[in-house]
Amino acid sequence: MVKTEREVVQFQQVDKVFNNEIIALSDFDLSIREGELVCFLGPSGCGKSTALRMVAGLGEATAGSVNVFGNHPKEMIKETNDIAFVFQDANLLPWRTVLDNVLLPLELRGGDKKEHKKEAIRVLEMVGLKDYLKAYPRQLSGGMKMRVSIARALAAKPKLLLMDEPFAALDEITRQTLQMELLDIWQKENMTILFVTHNVYEAVFLSTRIAVMSARPGRLTSLIDIDLPFPRQLSIRTDARFTEYVDLASEKLESGNEGRELV
Amino acid sequence: MSMPSVEVTKKQKLLTKKASVKENNVWSKFKQIYLGPIVAFFIFISIWQTVPVLLGLKHYILPKPTDVVNAVVQDWGLLWPAVQITVVESIMGFVVSAVIGIMVSVLLASSKMLERSIYPYAIILQTIPVVAVAPIVVIWFGAGFNSIVVISFLIGFFPVISNTLMGLNSVDKNMDDLFTLYNASKWQRMWKLRIPSALPYIMAGLKISCTLSIVGAIVGEYIAGIGGGKGGLGYSITVAAIQVKTPYLFACGIAAAMLGIGFYLLVSLFAKFMLRSWHESAMKVEK
Repeated sequence: MVKTEREVVQFQQVDKVFNNEIIALSDFDLSIREGELVCFLGPSGCGKSTALRMVAGLGEATAGSVNVFGNHPKEMIKETNDIAFVFQDANLLPWRTVLDNVLLPLELRGGDKKEHKKEAIRVLEMVGLKDYLKAYPRQLSGGMKMRVSIARALAAKPKLLLMDEPFAALDEITRQTLQMELLDIWQKENMTILFVTHNVYEAVFLSTRIAVMSARPGRLTSLIDIDLPFPRQLSIRTDARFTEYVDLASEKLESGNEGRELV
Repeated sequence: MSMPSVEVTKKQKLLTKKASVKENNVWSKFKQIYLGPIVAFFIFISIWQTVPVLLGLKHYILPKPTDVVNAVVQDWGLLWPAVQITVVESIMGFVVSAVIGIMVSVLLASSKMLERSIYPYAIILQTIPVVAVAPIVVIWFGAGFNSIVVISFLIGFFPVISNTLMGLNSVDKNMDDLFTLYNASKWQRMWKLRIPSALPYIMAGLKISCTLSIVGAIVGEYIAGIGGGKGGLGYSITVAAIQVKTPYLFACGIAAAMLGIGFYLLVSLFAKFMLRSWHESAMKVEK
């Protein structure tokens, strides 16, 4: 995946206040370039999901602006398939089979059904679920459900993939496998990924850059470039540099939440 | 090398045990589930049979089970047509409740404005006792079949509407966001998200409504029933009550109950079929 200088997401002095009293985000400033994989890392309540949802047009900034490819996110989701979102729980429709769940975004946009099916099968193959087209979500394990959810997000060929703690509810082994697969997909599919997590190891393993956030009010406290080579293998976790990054991120995370200004 | 052999014999023991368990399975299941209710039923019937004899109660006060059976056999020519008429009336009432109830709910749910303006009146309408408005129904629709179906509908309609509306409005927030993300139109959201997720609620509404529609049909016949071989169970009941044919009244009551149970089972089966592939309520539990 080649990084370019083209900006995909731009937060400009974004504030978000809920019910006139709860400050979810304060003076949030960040731009994300094409091809990056940026993790929002922070404790719960730091507004990282709020920021992500704004990028998807699922929330409006109280002050400041959020742009995606230079447009308002709401315009983007109206006009294009460029933004996809993966929720923390797989969020599959239980009355639809695996295939029909993946077909949903394509179906809602309209177009040729045969093409849709081909595309759906392609992405399901990519996540290793080609043999489960006719299964219902309740028959799948948590990890498999998440794979379907990822396949569904990929089906509409997004340019920007937003993921809200997608692996938080999975066991460690499944999580590691899915992390590897996600990196694989990211490199194949020419995407920019924004990934929300509270797990330091996950953030370091996945990212090209980590945006460390602090809570109450939600602020961006530091940005860490992760200069580890791709493709990343699981063995990288024992690498000294990996450990250094983990220490650095943990430290920023901790000090940021003691209320000290870092950036 | 002794370990594996121990395990093998253990396994074999388990297997032979399993086989013998299977043979006894049918009988033990029967014992567990059906034996109790059957025994209770026979005890109840025997007590019922002996109490009137012991207390010297007349058959028009408390008929014995045998009196009731006699009444069924003797008046079969009256009872059976009455049952058939009530079945048709309640099915009509139920189908109309279901169709109109679901359609109105979808319409109300399609616009918050519409729901806010109309639903309160639907609740008020529901609080008016149907018996109180039934004479008006008779004036409008004439005595007989039409009025009875309308009364049955009036009773069965509300559970469908309130359940369906609740279902249509309790869509999972994340799924709703998903549809927003893909720019789904209002009706795409209705057909592909809200109606499917309301299905369990709709089915619950139909289950309530189906037994109520029988109540409605019988109440309707009390008020709007006509004789001449066109009266249903409700009409038969009013006539038998005037004639103090108590055993026949019991027979009618039991017939009405059986109708209700049968109808409920049918609708439950339909609900299970509709939800079979995905909803918890329709799953077979594996132990």
